[in-house]
Amino acid sequence: MPLPAQLDRTIVTGTIMASAIGLPYIVVLSVLGLMGRISGAEVVWWLLAGLILVGAIGSVTSNNVVHAALSLVVAAMGVAGMFLLLASEFLALVQVLVYGGGVAILLLFALMMTNASDDPIVVDGSQKPFGFGVALIMGIVMVSATVGASWDATITTVVSFRDIGTRLYRDYGVPFEVASLVLLVALVGAIAIARRDTEESDAA
Amino acid sequence: MISLNHYLALSGVLFALGFYGVLVRRSAILILIAVELMLAAVSINFVAFASYLDAKLFTGVIFAIFVITIAAAEVGLALGIVLRIYRERSTANVDEASTLKW
Amino acid sequence: MSMAMAGILIAIPASIFVLLALTWKMLPRGGDFLVVLGFLAVWLLGLGIAADFTKYFHEGVFAPNGANAFAFDWINIGDGLFHIQFSTWVDSITVVMIVVVTTVALMVAIYSTGYMRGEERYGWYFAALSLFVTAMLTLVLSGNLLQLYFAWEGVGLASFLLIGFYWERQSAAEAAKKAFITTRVGDVGLLIGIVLLWREAGTFDIQQIIEFAEHGGFNSTYLTVSMLFLFLGAVGKSAQFPLHVWLPDAMEGPTPVSALIHAATMVVAGVYLVARMMPVFDVVPAAREVVLYTGLITAVMAATMGLVSNDIKRVLAFSTVSQLGFMFVALGMGAVGVAMFHLLTHAFFKALLFLGSGSVIHATHEQTVEHLGGLRKKLPITTWTFCIGSLALAGVIPFAGFWSKDEILHTAMHDAPFAYVVLAATAILTAIYTTRVVLLTFWGEPKDHHAYEHAHESGWTMAGPLVFLSILAVFSGFVVFHSVGAALGFPGGILETVYTEEPELFHFDPVFAATAVGMSLAGIGIGFAYWWGDAQRAVRARAWAPELHALLVNRYYIDDLYQGIIDRVVLGLGGIVAAFERHVVNESGVDGGSQLIGWFGMRLKFLQTGRIPNYALAMAVGVVVLAVMAFRSA
Repeated sequence: MPLPAQLDRTIVTGTIMASAIGLPYIVVLSVLGLMGRISGAEVVWWLLAGLILVGAIGSVTSNNVVHAALSLVVAAMGVAGMFLLLASEFLALVQVLVYGGGVAILLLFALMMTNASDDPIVVDGSQKPFGFGVALIMGIVMVSATVGASWDATITTVVSFRDIGTRLYRDYGVPFEVASLVLLVALVGAIAIARRDTEESDAA
Repeated sequence: MISLNHYLALSGVLFALGFYGVLVRRSAILILIAVELMLAAVSINFVAFASYLDAKLFTGVIFAIFVITIAAAEVGLALGIVLRIYRERSTANVDEASTLKW
Repeated sequence: MSMAMAGILIAIPASIFVLLALTWKMLPRGGDFLVVLGFLAVWLLGLGIAADFTKYFHEGVFAPNGANAFAFDWINIGDGLFHIQFSTWVDSITVVMIVVVTTVALMVAIYSTGYMRGEERYGWYFAALSLFVTAMLTLVLSGNLLQLYFAWEGVGLASFLLIGFYWERQSAAEAAKKAFITTRVGDVGLLIGIVLLWREAGTFDIQQIIEFAEHGGFNSTYLTVSMLFLFLGAVGKSAQFPLHVWLPDAMEGPTPVSALIHAATMVVAGVYLVARMMPVFDVVPAAREVVLYTGLITAVMAATMGLVSNDIKRVLAFSTVSQLGFMFVALGMGAVGVAMFHLLTHAFFKALLFLGSGSVIHATHEQTVEHLGGLRKKLPITTWTFCIGSLALAGVIPFAGFWSKDEILHTAMHDAPFAYVVLAATAILTAIYTTRVVLLTFWGEPKDHHAYEHAHESGWTMAGPLVFLSILAVFSGFVVFHSVGAALGFPGGILETVYTEEPELFHFDPVFAATAVGMSLAGIGIGFAYWWGDAQRAVRARAWAPELHALLVNRYYIDDLYQGIIDRVVLGLGGIVAAFERHVVNESGVDGGSQLIGWFGMRLKFLQTGRIPNYALAMAVGVVVLAVMAFRSA
């Protein structure tokens, strides 16, 4: 079965990049881990961090909208993994459910309805250099803000579902209800905005 | 050992990437994707602080729950608007929504 | 009537002016009877003051028996730092001036009721007349220089209002402006002079300044300069060269105004000022010399210009300027009494001549001499009174003008022989042009029959003052005699009442008098020769020297010179200032400011691209800047 040319290109580029960058990366990590220089958790952490970054970079630089949306899903999964490492399983689950199951589907639906794949998105606008510079500075500022400080702390407990539930319903009951209201409003609003005005066209 | 700084640095980089995406992307949907990235970075930040420093009360975790919730609501609503705009102008290019110019 | 009540002389016309200015439209006959009665009262009170004066006469004092009779605080700043009083000072000079001003004013007021009848703004004319009399009396009664300046400006204002009385006529409005501006030039000098004197003497009071000067309080050069500035004011007001240009044009005003203001009273304000300050002039003889030469030049120049003028009033105007020149020559020689004497007689006969010419104008509605003639049959009273005035002007014995002019010539003979020669020539010229006017107007064949037919003698309101003034023109000269003066209650003749260092007893020098009368008669004879009959000789003389004639008719082109200066210098400067105002202040400053903002706006508006990514970038930059700042401070 002949593959579409685009897929061809993507596969080729993707494989090249994966092998050029990804493979050495994994190899180095494994070696370090096996050598005992870094702990196993840290190896996992670095792997997940790599995944997140790959997904993030893909979603902001990809020319194909669908690839961008899917890269977001990859990044979201990476973040879910991070949450697991941070000993909050509930949050990891929520992340997978909401992002992977909700947001991503929404985005794909929107892409479909706006015929995004048909429309070639014009090359990113003239703001590219400025945007790059600004984002770079922002990143540098944020990272250097953290580098200097040091916290002697470790993760001690795993946050249990029960604890989260207690906190959520007991101490943060009101925000919880308000959040549900927000969801309701968003729901209703989205319907109101995106609805076709069929009555109008009928009456006219 | 994975220290807090690792997570904070990661969230910073992720945030900067999302920042870049918001400024550079032309399609409204792609901008929303970048916004999602930023929100995710923020969640990591909150949860990291909660887990490392606030083991008893883990307020950050609750915060992150709400962030995710609101992010989802926001994306839903925003996509509704994008759909509407697309229907009127048959394009989702934010550059072309420039009637409020000089 | 005591001298201390001199303030009433000012108060009466002042209140009449205020009343009339506000209500003349509502009063019957425009309120002229108020003015006549007021002037009558002022005249009688003035004579009363003169009578009171005679009781307190002290000899050996300049213009003796002055009394700072009436004073109230006018300006008091800083509790004595700057303190001016409104004060009156009555001495022999003042008495002469009061008599002159009130008498002529009364005659003119009565005359005006006839002359100005039926004019528009009849009541306003009388209001302005009272304003003038108020200011003039304030001027002659002033005890200090600031008050004098105030009144000086007041008479200038009244003159402006009255010259421009027929302001619908362009020439009248122009003449009023010219008079005011020319005298303004002089007034600036006067003010500078006053301030300079005040700076050194520390006071405005005239008598104190005189004392200060006599005791050598002033630096000599400084005082000369101040007195010259003061004299500049006199030059302006008394129409001396080079500020004489306004007086001939001032004849645009109604004739009674010319009689009162521009013959008898306002123009002699300069003479009065110099006479009043004579002791100070004596301290700086150089300034006095300037006065002398100015008067001399003016006298001769004006007489030549009067020779060729065709308008009756203009001839009289030039004659006034010339006679004022005579007075200044007398002052330049330090002879105050002589100058005041000539002032007195001149006031009477010149006012008479002007009122007479007014009578002619009223009868024929013609001013140009070339259109008149043969009027003696139609206007007998006018003719004979005019002739009396002319003989007085020409200086024929025993009329008033002879005595005063003779005194001036006499003083000149002894003190400044050069001046005597020039004045004698001028006296001959005076006689010539006077005769010319009389012959052309009243004798000969009428040249404009329409005017001639119309002519009729004026009523008693106009004829009465003419007769009264002609009596004065005959007899007022005799006050120089000791016996006459003594009979009136004064210590002697006028020269014994008004003097600088010592009273002069008048001696009659027959030879000298004969010479003077001879010169006058010679002048009259020349006048007859040229203008009797059909004036053929005059026509031939004019054709013989047309450039000279043109020069005189155009008044030595001085008016054109001044106009040229104004056009080029003054208006040129004005043009520069206007251009500056237009270009720098208005276009660059005011308009430019707003246009600059608009310019910026036109360029800055492109920031509003309307594109969301651009706005997002702008916000992002802001956030990054804040982050960097927060990071650095932390």
